[in-house]
Amino acid sequence: MQYMKPAFRVSRSLITINPKPFIFLTSPFLTLQTLRSQSPISSFSSSMASSDFSSLPAPSLEKQFGEFRTHLEESGTLRDRIRTVVSEIESTTRLMYASILLVHHSRPTPELLEKAKTQIDVLKEKYKQLADILGGCPGQYYRYHGDWKSETQTVVSVLTFMNWLETGKLLEHKEAEEKLGLNGPEFNLDVEDYLVGVCFMSNELPRYVVNQVTAGDYDCPRKVLKFLTELHAAFRILNLRNDFLRKKFDGMKYDLRKVEEVYYDVKIRGLTPNGESVADQGIERQS
Amino acid sequence: MLRSFSSSLHRLSLFMASEKPQRLHQITGTNFQNTTKRPKTMATATATATTATDSAMKEPFTKYTEYLNNLNDKRERVVKASRDITMNSKKVIFQVHRMSKYNKVEVLEKAEKDLAAVTNQYVSRLVKELQGTDFWKLRRAYSPGIQEYVEAATFCSFCKSGTLLKLDEINNTLLPLSDPSLQPLQINILDYLLGLADLTGELMRLAIGRISDGELEFAEKICSFARDIYRELTLVVPHMDDSSDMKTKMDVMLQSVMKIENACFSVHVRGSEYIPLLGSNDPSSFLVGVPDIEL
Repeated sequence: MQYMKPAFRVSRSLITINPKPFIFLTSPFLTLQTLRSQSPISSFSSSMASSDFSSLPAPSLEKQFGEFRTHLEESGTLRDRIRTVVSEIESTTRLMYASILLVHHSRPTPELLEKAKTQIDVLKEKYKQLADILGGCPGQYYRYHGDWKSETQTVVSVLTFMNWLETGKLLEHKEAEEKLGLNGPEFNLDVEDYLVGVCFMSNELPRYVVNQVTAGDYDCPRKVLKFLTELHAAFRILNLRNDFLRKKFDGMKYDLRKVEEVYYDVKIRGLTPNGESVADQGIERQS
Repeated sequence: MLRSFSSSLHRLSLFMASEKPQRLHQITGTNFQNTTKRPKTMATATATATTATDSAMKEPFTKYTEYLNNLNDKRERVVKASRDITMNSKKVIFQVHRMSKYNKVEVLEKAEKDLAAVTNQYVSRLVKELQGTDFWKLRRAYSPGIQEYVEAATFCSFCKSGTLLKLDEINNTLLPLSDPSLQPLQINILDYLLGLADLTGELMRLAIGRISDGELEFAEKICSFARDIYRELTLVVPHMDDSSDMKTKMDVMLQSVMKIENACFSVHVRGSEYIPLLGSNDPSSFLVGVPDIEL
């Protein structure tokens, strides 16, 4: 009993040195005996202290990590620059989108498109800035791709919608690239981003049809249905992976159904303007 | 991008042309599933060709299809290569763990040989797939394999030389794999750092193994090495792109470092308390005691 007390003292001091006392498995008696003769704690703590200060990391190690840090910091500032430009792209797109949204309020007017079109040049300028920023690091387009991906998809959706309102046709990938001035070898429009943008555009069509019919344009559903069936058929050619694009494409069929319903509603009430035969042909050819 | 895309298309067609006769040969000899698969892919290929004539919209879409098909095929091949690299790098790491103080030289030689085989067989396959923008575009597909490879290479070299294998040094070994006219595959800093973060886990296992083998000095060396890496990484991590992934790795890393430190500590404390007769009751002190008897 006499030496039990010091044994406990030792164990407590060990625990305070190391917060995880799992090493302290042996019986306190054993420790005590050895402690008396050699006192390992003092030797241990002194060696720990000396190794902490004397064995500084090798200079080559420091150097490499120093280089890594500067490199990563540089790419960080590059990313910040990209982000500021991208946020400008975003606000420009929002302006454009807001002006085309007026299409749902009344019949599409050329002035409305004109107003949106003036912004295309702004976008072009912004994308040129992006390309310039990335010009310094060839081959790294996809390193920073995530920073402008979704914004660019929205840009494509607005552009394709505008183009459709104007011409009734789908803006092709190449044409979209040209509109945005993205035909350089390094900086271009990713095909998947383009396709996602097109899917976004299709989401806009059901609302458009509903509002057009309400405004008295009974031929609109036929045109939209024709376009959307074609688009849907075209998308079915693609072999998609189970990714975001696939999800968006799957959503397209709901747009199609909605437009079909509107077309049906209009047609069954005999509201279609120029004879049923024309409309029939248009659809049958697609299905 | 289009240029590289068309060239890869060309390469793909060449590749298919060379593969075909062998494939057909296999099919006639072996299983039934393959024969059913073949015509199916042919059917989809012709289907896209016929429907494409229907409307103006479909012509550009066949182009997109080609692009997506090529991209997905390539991604698939890269993922496979990455998986092979992972698997075989793991084997190298296991080989290093077989080390004991008696067979160190032979074991490490074999490990190095295995690592060279991984480089030449599997990493070279990856190198052939990746060109230009692919390095970053398909990074997600090959990153796990490269991380494991970095881990194996640095682990091997630490056991041999006691120093950290630098990124430049790894990249130099990759240079001969690619065509000199093309841009060579260079492991990027992020994958290197992610690989290093995994290295401490292996170091921890190694340190515990060395301690039970009685190589205390080596264990202490491992300890300070792992500490250095952890310290250096703490400065770099906040600047990394996808730091959330790295942050969890850092937590695991700290745990590994602490395990090594604790193991070194307990050996330090109890190594000195070793008394042959009494110690034989306690399994861990028995292990620690072994070198003393042999020495």
